[in-house]
Amino acid sequence: MPDWQELVRKRLSGLKLGSAEREEVHAELAVHLEESYESLRTKGLPEQAAMQQTLAQVADWQDLRREIQIARTVKENLMNDRVRQLWLPGLLTFALSMGLLELVQKFGARPIVLDLDKGTPVLMFYTPWLLALPLAGALGAYLSKRAGGSARIVLASSIFPVLPFGVVFMIAGPVGLVISHSLAHHIVTAAFFSMSVGWVLAPGIALLVGGFLMQLLISRRSSTHGISMS
Amino acid sequence: MIGAGVKRGTAELAILSVLEEGPLHGYEMARRIEEQTKGALRFTLAALYPMLYRMEQRGWIRGAWETSQSGRRKRCYRLTPAGKKKLSPLRKEWAELFGALKRLTKVAHA
Repeated sequence: MPDWQELVRKRLSGLKLGSAEREEVHAELAVHLEESYESLRTKGLPEQAAMQQTLAQVADWQDLRREIQIARTVKENLMNDRVRQLWLPGLLTFALSMGLLELVQKFGARPIVLDLDKGTPVLMFYTPWLLALPLAGALGAYLSKRAGGSARIVLASSIFPVLPFGVVFMIAGPVGLVISHSLAHHIVTAAFFSMSVGWVLAPGIALLVGGFLMQLLISRRSSTHGISMS
Repeated sequence: MIGAGVKRGTAELAILSVLEEGPLHGYEMARRIEEQTKGALRFTLAALYPMLYRMEQRGWIRGAWETSQSGRRKRCYRLTPAGKKKLSPLRKEWAELFGALKRLTKVAHA
């Protein structure tokens, strides 16, 4: 029986990998060849025929060397799935949402102010911004879906802009209550409530509406158009 | 002739499906696929390993050296959570494709 590892080493010479990694590849392929050979011998094939049949698994060793080198060194997807399906669409949705808010404020749109109680913080809504947010949510959902995101990831991408605010308020609320010795607790609670509604809940719903509608639209289109073979 | 994209897609599905049953090394994987598809799908060494390495780079499978009962060291592959997640939509996609082709050939013969 030949020394399979030596055979693979010779035939794959020039494989440009680190020495340890190269040895791993040689060893792995050698085990495969050895098992193929042994299996053929067990089936009753003579040594020479088993050897020929085993080696016939590789028509062109130089081609295999190239293929292995590409597979082990070139990152096919520079960005992994999570980046393409969530972070990128989410950050673009965030940028668009903030851009829209900036525009709304620049063009002097007055916010709707709801007075909750005398002397306590108020709820502020920029109606044009809230009306435009479904577009941003739809963009996030579209980009995420196009990258192959699941329904959960698609919806997370569309509401991505409010997630940082949500996290901040979830931390800031309880912390504020703990450290607000000098302030009345009801003021802190009202502030927490109003900011959560104004900056998380209301925009989140607006974004979600856009994301949900986009997902619905894409699902309906894909069910009528079938699978693309790109 | 079947295009490279289709070939690669079916190969990926076959590998992920067979690994769903448990960790396997390359030779055993090729043998199981051939056996379970009654010889319809055959992986030569040259086709199998570049595919396995690509799938490992993508994070769908992970290989680790293990020593078998016979004392031989083999690199065993197992599905990662990302690979498990990939399997279900991939299956759905291929089922849709084969369904569509089936409908098409029925129409063509009608």
